Amino acid sequence: MIAEAWDAGDMGCGELLIQLAGRMRALVPGQIFELRAQDPGAVEDIPSWCRMTGHALEFAQHPVYRIRRRNN
Amino acid sequence: MPGSFCVSITHSKNDTDKATVGFVIANAAVASDKDTMVFLSTEGVRLAQKGFADDIHESGFAPLKELMDNFMKAGGKVYVCSPCFKKRGLAEDQLIAGATIVGGAKLVEFLGAGSPCVSY
Repeated sequence: MIAEAWDAGDMGCGELLIQLAGRMRALVPGQIFELRAQDPGAVEDIPSWCRMTGHALEFAQHPVYRIRRRNN
Repeated sequence: MPGSFCVSITHSKNDTDKATVGFVIANAAVASDKDTMVFLSTEGVRLAQKGFADDIHESGFAPLKELMDNFMKAGGKVYVCSPCFKKRGLAEDQLIAGATIVGGAKLVEFLGAGSPCVSY
C-alpha cells in the first residue's frame, strides 16, 4: 500500500534528492513512498540514494519508483 | 553508509553555472546522509554575503538561494575561506546565517580525516 506519492516532474540530481529525503522522513518506518521522476538521471540516482541511506527500493520502472522507509 | 563529503566552490557571479552545480551536488550529498561541507574560497566567498546569491538563477536549475537554504536546512555546513573573504573587503556582519569563516586548517582537518572532495 502506498502511503504517500509525489510527482517530481523533471526535477533531478540534488534538487530531487533533498526534496525526496525530506518527504521520506515524514513517513513512518515501513511505509511505502511512490516517486515519479522523469529526469533520466533518476534511473541510476534513486538506487544509489537508497543504498546510501538504507531505504529499500521495492520497485523501479522509470519513471516510477517505490521506496520503503527505513527503520530509524 | 555514513561518511563525509566536501564540495569546494570557487565561483559566484563570474561563473553562475559552477556555483549552482556545486550546491546541487552538495544537496545530493547531504540528502544522502553524508556529513557535508561546502567550502567557499576565492570568488566563491561572495556567495556567503547576504543578498549576493538572491538573483542567481541558472537556467535549468532551482534558484541558487533556494539550493543554499535547502542545503543548510538539511544540516549542511558552509565554511568561508578567511583570507579570500578579507582580501575582497567583505563584511563579516553581512554573512548569511549558518556560514562560518574559517582558515585552511578546517578544510585540511575535514579532508585529512578521509573526506572526498569535488571542486567547482
